[in-house]
Amino acid sequence: MIEIEGLVKRFGTHTAVAGLDLKVEPGEIFGFLGPNGAGKTTTVKCVTGLLKPTAGRVRVAGFDLATQTLEAKRSMGLVPDEPFVYPKLTGVEYLRFIGELYGAPLETMRARIPDLLEMFELRPWGGELVESYSHGMRQKLVLAGILLHDPKVLILDEPMVGLDPKSGRLVKDIFLKLSERGTTIFMCTHVLEIAEKLCDRVGIMIEGRMIACGTVAELEAQAKTKGSDLEGIFLSLTGGAEYSTLLRYL
Amino acid sequence: MLGLLLRRRSRCAFNSVRSLTSYEWTRNSVFGLAGLSLLFGLYYGFYRVLSFLSTVELIGLLLIWKLTAMLLLMTLSMVVVSSLLTSMTTLFYSYDLKFLMKAPLSLRTIFLDKSLESAFFASWMIGLVLVPYVLALMRVLHLGPAFFAAFAFSLPPFLLLAASFGVGFTLLLLYLFPSSRTRDVVWVFSSLSMTVIYGLIRFAQPEKLIRPDMLKVVAEYLNYLQAPTAPYLPSWWLALALQAAAGGRWGAWALQAAGLWGAAFAVYAGLVGLAGRTYFVGYSGAQEAALRKRTHKFSLLPEQRLFGAGRLSALLWKERVAFFRDVKHWSQMLLIVGLVFVYLFSISRLPHDAPEFWSLIAFLNVGTAGFVIAALGLRFTFPAISLEGRGWWILKSSPLTIGQIMRQKFFFSLAPTLAVALILGWMTTRFIGADRFTTQVSIAALLGVAVVLCGMGVGLGALFPRFTVENVHQIESSLGGFVYMAASLFYIGGTLSILAWPMRMHFLAMMGNPRAWDAPSAWVAGGLWAILSVGAFGATWTLGRRTLENYEE
Repeated sequence: MIEIEGLVKRFGTHTAVAGLDLKVEPGEIFGFLGPNGAGKTTTVKCVTGLLKPTAGRVRVAGFDLATQTLEAKRSMGLVPDEPFVYPKLTGVEYLRFIGELYGAPLETMRARIPDLLEMFELRPWGGELVESYSHGMRQKLVLAGILLHDPKVLILDEPMVGLDPKSGRLVKDIFLKLSERGTTIFMCTHVLEIAEKLCDRVGIMIEGRMIACGTVAELEAQAKTKGSDLEGIFLSLTGGAEYSTLLRYL
Repeated sequence: MLGLLLRRRSRCAFNSVRSLTSYEWTRNSVFGLAGLSLLFGLYYGFYRVLSFLSTVELIGLLLIWKLTAMLLLMTLSMVVVSSLLTSMTTLFYSYDLKFLMKAPLSLRTIFLDKSLESAFFASWMIGLVLVPYVLALMRVLHLGPAFFAAFAFSLPPFLLLAASFGVGFTLLLLYLFPSSRTRDVVWVFSSLSMTVIYGLIRFAQPEKLIRPDMLKVVAEYLNYLQAPTAPYLPSWWLALALQAAAGGRWGAWALQAAGLWGAAFAVYAGLVGLAGRTYFVGYSGAQEAALRKRTHKFSLLPEQRLFGAGRLSALLWKERVAFFRDVKHWSQMLLIVGLVFVYLFSISRLPHDAPEFWSLIAFLNVGTAGFVIAALGLRFTFPAISLEGRGWWILKSSPLTIGQIMRQKFFFSLAPTLAVALILGWMTTRFIGADRFTTQVSIAALLGVAVVLCGMGVGLGALFPRFTVENVHQIESSLGGFVYMAASLFYIGGTLSILAWPMRMHFLAMMGNPRAWDAPSAWVAGGLWAILSVGAFGATWTLGRRTLENYEE
């Protein structure tokens, strides 16, 4: 469902993504991990068409992002790391706008928008301007927006940031259910516990390169950290051996 | 601490320049040169006017200094209005305020940092236009570089004093009305009052004072020329300082310059003192959004009823709803309505003692009304793309082409711009009583200018996108805004130059030379204008679309 071949993204002399190859299957939940500045958000931006790759090819739902841009975008839903939404629209109006952009039928919007607001406990706020929403409420609104048009691929950059525990749990269950229905989920996160419980496969990126990719068991074998949780594996693969020495700077 | 805050500004500016790509350097240089040529054009225009005035016997010098004082008064009033519009967003809604308010900085330091930023953005472009005037003045009066140094030293306190009005007003407004609903109402009423006052001043017909034929004796006219122009305002102090510097009276200049700097320090000291007690109340109130439930009917949107159920309609709907809910737009629209009324009133009061020139004036009105349309475009059309702001990801990641987004921005601006063009063109030709041919040419030209300026506004807005600015005034006063104004003025100038050809033939024919009218030449002129218009529209649109397609944060 997502095919990335030889993706390179350079900003001047800095290479943010250095030749990424990745294939995420339909219905798979793929967790994309890495330290800050590893190139995860840049990859997300390249996959969603927010940035133009320096080299390489991205295909989403069978559509080439470079040549079939609109078809590819229509089949995707993005939750960015900063869920900025038009402050002068109400929650309902934002969802209506997103529905119109992605071609959702009026009947679907009439039925789905109140349900989605209810699901994310935003119903009492649906008629208020987004400028009065908290960060978490905006995050939930953006999530509701992508569910409205039922995309085949979800691209999520830190989707749990700002969510209260109940909403976090709800979102996890939503992702699992969507995955069962065949929706592909590509998720960047720093919350290793979520990645461990939710993701079918996990990729770890450092300095623009994917240094490990596979199920948690496969990563465990690669890191030679038998019995460790994902945090232990992650620290081991990303240079966690020196971790203990960092505290001496405190 | 203020030093530290100012250093971080200069560091940010330095880093921004250093990180420019070669494409951005080339683009900025090319358009910067276009801006410079506009300044040169202004310099040339000022030089011609000042040269003419200097040849007037006995009162030439008086006329020059009267004009200087009036120009400074105009600059002062423009900076005051600009600061009113800039201050609220800069002082209370800047992105970095959350960080600054949490930092161990005194409120007064933060206020001073923000008020200086507001003053800068409100005044730099208006202040820049004074430079070609002063250079022309130096050439006509044979003044050396010391005069320019004296001007450069006296200008900053003048601009700071002008900008302090908006800063002080906003500070008090947010302190007295921290509730957002009340504040919005007061803000709109303040704008309405300003519009009314502006209109009343104009309707009082101050031009009677400067028309010698309205005054009884020559002595009265001389008295008027020698009298101070608004003596209690900083514009007059700066005029006196320049006059003293031009005459080599450096002691008098130093006195005036010291007065300007002293007043600026005193005013800002007063504002900083006031901010210590009021700034946080206003800031805290500005964080609260007004809660008011709005219902939404899931039926066809009004735009969909008009233009069909495409994505363009949805974009237009979003734009309209978001635009009219922002109270800051209302105040600006009120000021525009006032401006249009005053413009039409001024036209209606033109002396009707030279009927043979009425039609000529109606034609030249294309230039002045075109300038008004360009100014509207600078405020509403040019920033339209950048105003998507941090929500740009919604459109960029959606199944829309950049061309579709630009077309929506274009159509949203086009309708009101065409309405203003039509009102200005039709009413003006009616007031003046222009003949049918001139009326048709003027109105057609103005409508064409409106379409092209809208296209150029969207195109150049896409060529110079600024999605991370704090307020619309930073978009207007950016290099892109300057380029838009320069390009618009070139286009209006080109339009007038080309259409002057058939107009000349028409006037000659009216004056009794029937062979003067040559239809093929008129068609050629029309064709040239069409080429100029399509070229100006197409070039800026294409460049903008390509830039926005490749835009990377």
